[in-house]
Amino acid sequence: MDYKLQVGVQSHLEMGSLEDRSMQDLHDECLHSPETDARKNQTTYSNEPLPFSDGRLPAGCNNMIGHGVYRSIKTVVFSNKLNLLMPFGPLAILVHKLTAHNGWVFFLSLLGITPLAERLGYATEQLAFYTGPTIGGLLNATFGNATELIISIYALKSGMTRVVQLSLLGSILSNMLLVLGCAFFCGGLVYHRKEQVFNKATAIVNSGLLLMAVMGLLFPAVLHYTHTERQYGKSELSLSRFSSCVMLVAYAAYLVFQLKGQNDLYAPINEENLDDDDDDDDDDDDDDDDDGGGGGGGGGGGGDDDEAPEISKWESGIWLVILTAWISILSDYLVDTIQGASEAWDVSIAFISVILLPIIGNAAEHASAIMFAMKDKLDISLGVAIGSSTQISMFGIPFCVVIGWMMGQEMDLNFQLFETATLFITVIVVAFFLQEGTSNYFKGLMLILAYLIVAASFFAHEDPTSANEKKQP
Amino acid sequence: MDYKVQVGVQSHLEMGPLDDRTMEDLDDECLFPSEMDAQKTQSVDPNQHISVSGSLPFNGNKMTRNGVYKSIKTVVFSNKLNLLMPFGPLAILVHKMTDSSGWVFFLSLLGITPLAERLGYATEQLAFFTGPTVGGLLNATFGNATELIISIYALKSGMKRVVQLSLLGSILSNMLLVLGCAFFCGGLVYHGKEQVFSKATAVVNSGLLLMAVMGLLFPAVLHYTHTERIVGKSELALSRFSSCVMLLAYAAYLVFQLKSQTDLYVPLGEEVNQNGENLDNNDDDEDEAPEISKWESIIWLAIMTAWISILSDYLVDTIEGASDAWDVPIAFISVILLPIIGNAAEHASAIMFAMKDKLDISLGVAIGSSTQISMFGIPFCVVIGWMMGQEMDLNFQLFETATLFITVIVVAFFLQEGTSNYFKGLMLILCYLIVAASFFVHEDPPTDDQSKQPGT
Repeated sequence: MDYKLQVGVQSHLEMGSLEDRSMQDLHDECLHSPETDARKNQTTYSNEPLPFSDGRLPAGCNNMIGHGVYRSIKTVVFSNKLNLLMPFGPLAILVHKLTAHNGWVFFLSLLGITPLAERLGYATEQLAFYTGPTIGGLLNATFGNATELIISIYALKSGMTRVVQLSLLGSILSNMLLVLGCAFFCGGLVYHRKEQVFNKATAIVNSGLLLMAVMGLLFPAVLHYTHTERQYGKSELSLSRFSSCVMLVAYAAYLVFQLKGQNDLYAPINEENLDDDDDDDDDDDDDDDDDGGGGGGGGGGGGDDDEAPEISKWESGIWLVILTAWISILSDYLVDTIQGASEAWDVSIAFISVILLPIIGNAAEHASAIMFAMKDKLDISLGVAIGSSTQISMFGIPFCVVIGWMMGQEMDLNFQLFETATLFITVIVVAFFLQEGTSNYFKGLMLILAYLIVAASFFAHEDPTSANEKKQP
Repeated sequence: MDYKVQVGVQSHLEMGPLDDRTMEDLDDECLFPSEMDAQKTQSVDPNQHISVSGSLPFNGNKMTRNGVYKSIKTVVFSNKLNLLMPFGPLAILVHKMTDSSGWVFFLSLLGITPLAERLGYATEQLAFFTGPTVGGLLNATFGNATELIISIYALKSGMKRVVQLSLLGSILSNMLLVLGCAFFCGGLVYHGKEQVFSKATAVVNSGLLLMAVMGLLFPAVLHYTHTERIVGKSELALSRFSSCVMLLAYAAYLVFQLKSQTDLYVPLGEEVNQNGENLDNNDDDEDEAPEISKWESIIWLAIMTAWISILSDYLVDTIEGASDAWDVPIAFISVILLPIIGNAAEHASAIMFAMKDKLDISLGVAIGSSTQISMFGIPFCVVIGWMMGQEMDLNFQLFETATLFITVIVVAFFLQEGTSNYFKGLMLILCYLIVAASFFVHEDPPTDDQSKQPGT
């Protein structure tokens, strides 16, 4: 969830009050608003228990722990309407135990994962408040798409490398076309008098990274398809692994570049505003580093001025672990039943992995991107959509290749010609649309229609290699 | 012919008298200049004649003959290009008398050219009377009516490959040759400075072209990687679905364009009354005078369309014979020869506008035409084929799809800067040479639906 950090960074560049509005906007789905307001009033109050709860929680009295746990659960679990989907998780496990109906289990686990993914992002951001901008940015950059990565790792363990490739590809495509298109479209409809603008530089940097990822994916595929490998079967794998390491280095450099760029701005700003951050440093507005894994809620304690963390550091960590565990369990069921679901619904595995899985999995990000676009904060929407795509393509995919390497699975970067061509043309189209720096409802509609064409193509597409996708016991 | 509507729009953004000059420039190939001047002074009169010609059937014979004579003079004799008109009937004659497919093909091609230009003219004239919205729609649909008519005839004969190739060739020639010539000639005339054009329009059009390429790419790749679910069926179903999506996108594009124009129209419409001719509501009439009445436009439209259909029939019939006679592949004829000669009029006007430093209009002619064919013409033919029961799909085969892809990328790249000079024009022309050469050596892999189905 990069955008939350962007919001945190931009608070130093724009008016501070914008921040509180954003936080409240994000929580306007909150079920128990009085509690949230009460907690907001407790922001300064919550600063004090921090040193208290850090080291001494185990030693605190039971009453305090019980109360803290209850409050924590209420904050994390009950404060989001999306969490109504949470019972579907255990329901999926129940159905799996009772019946052998793979289609239902798959669908229910999918629904169950969605709120968990959103809460995982929430917990990550909360934790980022306490760890400072650098590690916070790193956390977001890594865990931002943790759900997809967890699903992929489970699929890798089962030897279903094709599902991994397809689901990651689908995630990139849906972020670039569907989420971005919906954001442009809805924002354009709301603001149809004018053209919305966004930070061109950020968009271009991300487009460049996406193009580089396509390059990394293209060479193994072309090598394989033209039958011009030196050692058939081996060369392609080695090339993939080498390219993956290179791409990971590139991604690391990207993070360093972003954080360094922000730090150079941070130091002078922090000295200027010790109290509140509602100074508009307009000359820094055109800095392009407020995207991606950028500096947490603020340097040092600066973040607490604008965004109050709602749960303590230990709570964040614990929730992170709990949510990750839950997601892992549900992912296991998901991966197990994907073949059964494909047969039950009579759609190809390719279609499920590329289209269905990412759409439902990304539902929360989708909703927030649209919401930010309708509030004319297109930069944040862009951060959600394109930043996520960049992260998956430059970090997620190579990371899975390396994990596969360690596991002994032959996961490579050869996504087969059809998928690679799809990614290539999509990246070009999106890069082209973004380069202007403006948006309107027509562009959004174009992107959505392009996604329709992509989805239809995958519906008509029979994956040649999925025949050999058997789950290894 | 989007550019004329653009001219109508731009008249509100630029100086009024520019338009009268424009009309005169377009007619400076006129054979009877004195009549033209007389007609220009009569420009106010046609408005009166509108109400008169509505009752044309009831007037005296003398008035009808006079009106018909004037109409014929305006439409038929006012353009040098119309010297080619006799070639049409000549082609039919030759076809009846000899068996030489090559000659018939060539003559029908020459005969179609002036008709295509006059069709565009009649469409613009009609657009004056229908208001900006419907006028824009008319231009957007009939702008490439010639290509569509030829394609529909080819579809009826089951020659879907010719359809694909001719539409592709039209896109390529518009994007590379017409645009390149326009840039080149304009750049030579204004070699001191760089000509600029509206970047926003160019970028929107490039985006649409890219989306069209996307629509064409998937069926081709699906077919080529043999990854269809149901061989032969999936690709067709995908093509038809994509065509509907593309038509939807084109409709949205029109809506978007017209909406943004209307937002500009309203405030300016009140200012323009300072121009010489003051009319009440129809904005277009204030700056450009329609030369023929509304009914005349429609009648001429119908006549031109009928003539073009007849000649297209001969064209499609003899394309195979011409290919044998001249010993060039059908692909080359469809992709290179047909569009060049068919588009000659648009070609000439694009160059002319560029040399008058009105690059936006040239761009509208060239790129707008490409967009129209790719986002409307091609999907439209797929849908028409669907209704006819012909298996026309979006799989243009790998070579053609790759050509279109690389061309769109090159052109989009050239356009994104918003400036032009003779060097860019030269590059585009040379690119077209390469494309033409590639198609000269390209043998289209034979498919079984190439033979003309009997009984048409």
